[in-house]
Amino acid sequence: MSILQVQDLKKTYGKIQALKGVSFDVPEGSVFGILGPNGSGKTTMLSIILDVLNADSGNYSWFGKPASPDLRKHIGSLLETPNFYHYLSAVNNLKITNSISGRGDVAAIDAVLQKVKLYERRKSRFSTYSLGMKQRLAIAAALLGDPKILVLDEPTNGLDPVGIMEIRELIIELSKKGHTIIMASHLLDEVEKVCTHVAILKTGTLVTSGSVDEVLIDEDVVEVSASDMQQLQSLLLTIPGQTKVHMAEQTLHVHFPKGTAKPEEVNQFCFNNGITLQQLSIKKKRLEERFFELTNN
Amino acid sequence: MLQLLRTEWLKLKNYPGFWWLMGMTVLSYPGINGMFYFVFKTETSNAKQAAQLLKMLLGNPFEFPEVFRTAAFLSSCFVTVPALLVIMLITNEYTYKTNRQNVIDGWSRNQFLIAKFFNVVIISLIVIALYAIVTFSIGFINTGADVKNKFQLVHYIGLFGLQTFAQLSFAFLLGLLIKRAFIALGVFIFYKIPVENISGELLKKYVHPEAGRFLPTESSDLLTPVPAFFGRLDQKVYDHSLSIINEQIFITLAYLLIFWGLVFWIYKKRDL
Repeated sequence: MSILQVQDLKKTYGKIQALKGVSFDVPEGSVFGILGPNGSGKTTMLSIILDVLNADSGNYSWFGKPASPDLRKHIGSLLETPNFYHYLSAVNNLKITNSISGRGDVAAIDAVLQKVKLYERRKSRFSTYSLGMKQRLAIAAALLGDPKILVLDEPTNGLDPVGIMEIRELIIELSKKGHTIIMASHLLDEVEKVCTHVAILKTGTLVTSGSVDEVLIDEDVVEVSASDMQQLQSLLLTIPGQTKVHMAEQTLHVHFPKGTAKPEEVNQFCFNNGITLQQLSIKKKRLEERFFELTNN
Repeated sequence: MLQLLRTEWLKLKNYPGFWWLMGMTVLSYPGINGMFYFVFKTETSNAKQAAQLLKMLLGNPFEFPEVFRTAAFLSSCFVTVPALLVIMLITNEYTYKTNRQNVIDGWSRNQFLIAKFFNVVIISLIVIALYAIVTFSIGFINTGADVKNKFQLVHYIGLFGLQTFAQLSFAFLLGLLIKRAFIALGVFIFYKIPVENISGELLKKYVHPEAGRFLPTESSDLLTPVPAFFGRLDQKVYDHSLSIINEQIFITLAYLLIFWGLVFWIYKKRDL
């Protein structure tokens, strides 16, 4: 079942077309990463699904129903920057979140502040917080009342390395409990570690979306090496099905169309032609590499 | 609705700026009326011929029932203080981007504005209460037992209330449009004093002698005419100002619909 369905969303700011007909589905229980370079439309898209921006056209639905304020109350969200009343403490700001959304209670406020390690400073004014503390409070507000769906826009902004690791572990923990998390991030390494699905945007257009494995794998690459690399390269250029062979540092990369590479056949082919391989493995692309390929950066 | 009011109270109860401005509002209404009252008492209480002449000219504007009109006119000059409070209530939300967070957390845009509408109503009610307390206090101190029809002009409480609510609603609209507190307040004062006065005179001269009274804040300003002693300067003009009050009520109500209609329409259409 899809938690969120986005259909053909379009949005312009004057002459700038921020979204050019974006569509995708977010499956229940997934950690859905939204990636894209600056200005690709990530925050615009999240702002539309949270009703702070009006789309020019297209539509979206939560839980299969048209969006409504009541449905939004069940979604914990952090959009762009931590937005709180500067003169109020963490506790008093979260009381407002609780009053509007109905999520959580006094005990839950204390619990989320402990979770994000702000409990000791719970009575300090928001204006006295560091950037990282403000971000932690925004995460606490999103977590208040344990909503089953979280929308997190750059959740690790302003956090130190320990804070980034804690958020990663928190997302994994929530995912294991069945929560659905929609997350926009620039940190491809983090996304690769926690996301089950991704959508990649580029200048308002959806380049690709799907499970991480589907998006990462566009072809099969077999990594091999032998004592005589020149001889090996000449041989592999004759292997049936390959699309490209090239030298990469100390190994050779043999490219095959997606789903057609069979390492045992590569090994057999080399052996039958008098070459014993020293190394043989299927190379998995990193998200970062795939991201740069897709966005031409 | 209670949930909306409770949330607004959570926003304000620990906000020092709100209490400072509320304190200024609470002090300014008794202050302006008290100041004029004491000047009047001082200037008319001695036995000199000039003082007695002044007393004859002014009558007693602080005696029932005339005090209702006098205090309404003087109090209406101080609408800028609660206007700043109202402007701040909306511009703060833009400054902190909490208006968008309220919507993200589950309010509709209309709910956010309804909460603010009630803020403006409550601030207006506080101002009306201050006016009523000041008016009754000065009236009872000044009025002899022999004066009849003490409460003949009690309806000025309603007129003053309508004027205050209309002008605070206009201030709210400016705050929503401009989003910056001090610029919005500057525009409010600049519009109310030079722009509308000059526009009124130009309309009077080139369009129609009565056209000026249809302007956005002039329409409600005319709900509380000058105290009766001004009538001695030009009785015809003064009588006319009293005769148009009922029409001004309808014009003000129409403007209220326009102000709040615009507020809800703009907020629905605008990206947060």
